[in-house]
Amino acid sequence: MLGSLALLAGPTYLWLLVTIFLPLMAMLYFSFLTIAPIAGPGGTFTLSHYVDIFTKPVYLINLKRSLIMGLEVTFFCALVGYPAAYLLARQIKNRWREALLLLVVLPFWSNALVRTFSWTMVLSDNGLLGQWLHVLWPGGPSLDLLYSYKAIVIGLVHAYLPYMILTCYVSLQAIDGTLAEAALSLGASHRQVFQRIILPLSLPGLVAGSILIFVPVVGAFMEPRVLGGQQGITFGTIIESQFTTSFNWPLGAAMGFVLLAVVLIVMALFFPLLRKHLN
Amino acid sequence: MSVVDIKQVSKRYGQTLALNNVSMTIAQGEFFSLLGPSGGGKTSLLRSIAGFVEPDEGSIEIDGKPMLNVPINQRDLGMMFQNYALFPHMSIADNIGFGLSVRHRSKAEINQRIKELLSLVHLEGYGERRPRELSGGQQQRVALARALAPRPRVLLLDEPLGALDKKLRDEMQIELKKIQREVGVTTILVTHDQQEALTLSDRVAIINGGKVEQLGSPREVYERPHSQFVASFLGNANFFTGVVCGQADGMTQIRLPAGQVIHSSHGAGRSIGSRVTAAVRPEKLHAAGSNGPGQPCNRLSGRIAHEIYAGNSITYWVEIGAQQVSLTAQNNTAPALSMGAEAHLEWAPADTIVLD
Amino acid sequence: MKALRAVFAPGYVGLVLLFLYTPIIVMMIMAFNQSELYQLPFVFDLKWFRALAHNDDLLEAAANSIIIAIVNTLLSVTLGTLTALALSRHHFRGKAWFELLLLPSLTMPWLITGTAMMLFFFWTGIGRGLHAILLGHVALSIPYVVFIVRSRLKAFNRSLEEAAQILGASAWQTFWRVTAPLLAPGIVAAALFAFALSFDQFVISYFLAPIGISTLPVEIYSAIRKGFTPEINAISTLIILFSMGLMIVFARLSKFAGEP
Repeated sequence: MLGSLALLAGPTYLWLLVTIFLPLMAMLYFSFLTIAPIAGPGGTFTLSHYVDIFTKPVYLINLKRSLIMGLEVTFFCALVGYPAAYLLARQIKNRWREALLLLVVLPFWSNALVRTFSWTMVLSDNGLLGQWLHVLWPGGPSLDLLYSYKAIVIGLVHAYLPYMILTCYVSLQAIDGTLAEAALSLGASHRQVFQRIILPLSLPGLVAGSILIFVPVVGAFMEPRVLGGQQGITFGTIIESQFTTSFNWPLGAAMGFVLLAVVLIVMALFFPLLRKHLN
Repeated sequence: MSVVDIKQVSKRYGQTLALNNVSMTIAQGEFFSLLGPSGGGKTSLLRSIAGFVEPDEGSIEIDGKPMLNVPINQRDLGMMFQNYALFPHMSIADNIGFGLSVRHRSKAEINQRIKELLSLVHLEGYGERRPRELSGGQQQRVALARALAPRPRVLLLDEPLGALDKKLRDEMQIELKKIQREVGVTTILVTHDQQEALTLSDRVAIINGGKVEQLGSPREVYERPHSQFVASFLGNANFFTGVVCGQADGMTQIRLPAGQVIHSSHGAGRSIGSRVTAAVRPEKLHAAGSNGPGQPCNRLSGRIAHEIYAGNSITYWVEIGAQQVSLTAQNNTAPALSMGAEAHLEWAPADTIVLD
Repeated sequence: MKALRAVFAPGYVGLVLLFLYTPIIVMMIMAFNQSELYQLPFVFDLKWFRALAHNDDLLEAAANSIIIAIVNTLLSVTLGTLTALALSRHHFRGKAWFELLLLPSLTMPWLITGTAMMLFFFWTGIGRGLHAILLGHVALSIPYVVFIVRSRLKAFNRSLEEAAQILGASAWQTFWRVTAPLLAPGIVAAALFAFALSFDQFVISYFLAPIGISTLPVEIYSAIRKGFTPEINAISTLIILFSMGLMIVFARLSKFAGEP
């Protein structure tokens, strides 16, 4: 029995060991070294990378910036996505609902890079949005959003909105319709039904969606680079450049672990609610 | 001749003892029921016979052959599951033929058998349909046909009628009994429905807390329950606790706390002064003045506190001192008792069951 | 009021969809537009698709992507399905831990997964290249496959397998005649998901692709960074149509898979 179990699940865990767990351990090890032990004998033990991250403004400012970006993107996704999920789950019926839901999910299966890139064509001053705005409102203000923080947020909200709609939809449509009827029959107003029945019961979906969005957005580097231009420096892009251009792997590794710690703290804060959702 | 022989079987799940030293034998062709509340161990016992559960202790033999270490698929059993467990990706015919097909029987033989069984369960012409296209009752018949197709030594039924509504359930009970007689297969039924167990079975084992509370024919277990649990689980019962105050001519006298004396034709061998509990079925009680059968010699008086009207019968609750006693009368010519009125309850000593 | 509400629901969802589709539609329009600088008015031209046919770098990267996606699908579906069977059909101590071990590759930012793999593969001599990219893609895909196949396993009752066994089927017969056919829609859905995940994966591939070898997303990224050519619009249009086609098949299948 144990043998068949090992035979069934063994290869998977072996694979994950080599590709996820050992690399993470190696990265942790690197983060405490002065130089990466790649070319020759390695560096010596140091805490300086972690000290740098928490003392030098360039890292702190960008960590804060990435965190704020994560929160903002998550917030806008919830603001736009929750009502859409609510309408899909509780107002729109049957065949329409299925078709609209499919349409929501579809773009999320097209290449993320390509979708991000296409925003450059929409947002630049001579892009589509700008050109149409000039046609509609000659002499109006120029709409040069590209290469700004706003462009990054728009691109990220666009990329992650379907996650929020989906997780909220799943928990909203799982709410038994008779609960709302019961509340109404007990004298609750529609507003009270929403506040006291629907919202609390759909909260796990909102939390799950928020985590699914916050985690990758905090570590985003492609979207800031493509849409942010000079403005596009985030904690994620700094990590990326440690590995691809500056070749300071130990510093990059330490930054990666700081980012991972932030992600874990956020997950730990919300885990009780998330577990409820998974069950 | 015993087909299934269960010897001192115990099964523990963590802290709970699901089966506690259970023994019983089931005879060839018998319709045997395991009846009890959920969580009482009856399903564990059935699943032990099937092989899904491995007992910690004891042995289970089928046709004298110990089943320990015999794989499930070689035990030669048929089973109907609570949710029918029909294979959704196969036609009805393929479902029924599955057991023969995995035994590599010839196509012709399988088709012949499918035809026989479809006609046995009155589903001729349904062979090509899918399970989900059938109603609950029809699916249930398919499940029965599938279980019977390989001619199993023993048919196991795990709450097979639980999902049907009452009317259909009653019809299916008759059908099931008829088919079981026709096929003659030894059958073990797990149910929590006492009426179902009494209607269908040749013998019933009442199982509670992992133990056999009582085993016997439906008449025995209903008319002569050994314990308060069996008496109240099978139907309704009034309980009287008192002290034995006399033994004569096969009659036992029991003095109740308020001083009344009731008589029982059972309970011989109880010593005078011992404390006993007696059970009386509500339908065995008669209101004095109505035409009760025989010569009752038990008589208690009280006031009617409330009544429950159930169509074919009426149950009255009579306050006798601190105790409420229920009396069920057929809704026929008996004069209706009125609320608040004085009532005199009578019953025969033979109907006072002295519990162990 | 009632009329307003009747319009509001589809109206709002329509606006959200407009937001979601604007860049995609713009890209498709530009793929067929003659102007290199996205100038309007729109002039229909297939020249970017013709140019694409001669862009060997992009085509080679596309071929790499397709090969990796196919091998990734075969490997991750096999390993993931076996793991799903182990996790849902066996009960053992520490099972919760094994389930937990699937989560990191789902929930860590890809940036961290990617850089950790790059560092480790470099250090140990596994190196970078298509094999490394494949290692990474399979690691990302397995947990999704496990979850999709497991939810399918949960959807059909265990008693179906018990019924097969008691009717005389051996473990082998039970698997091939009952478990596998019932699992099939879930496995196909998982395969499509794994394919799409790998085909679209950029971050992991980016860190694991050495100079001179790339996958389509990596090639597109470097084209964007270098200064873009509208051929990217053309190939992106093809990718989007292809991915969406896959997704529609996936939706059909998962709908089918949802039925008990």
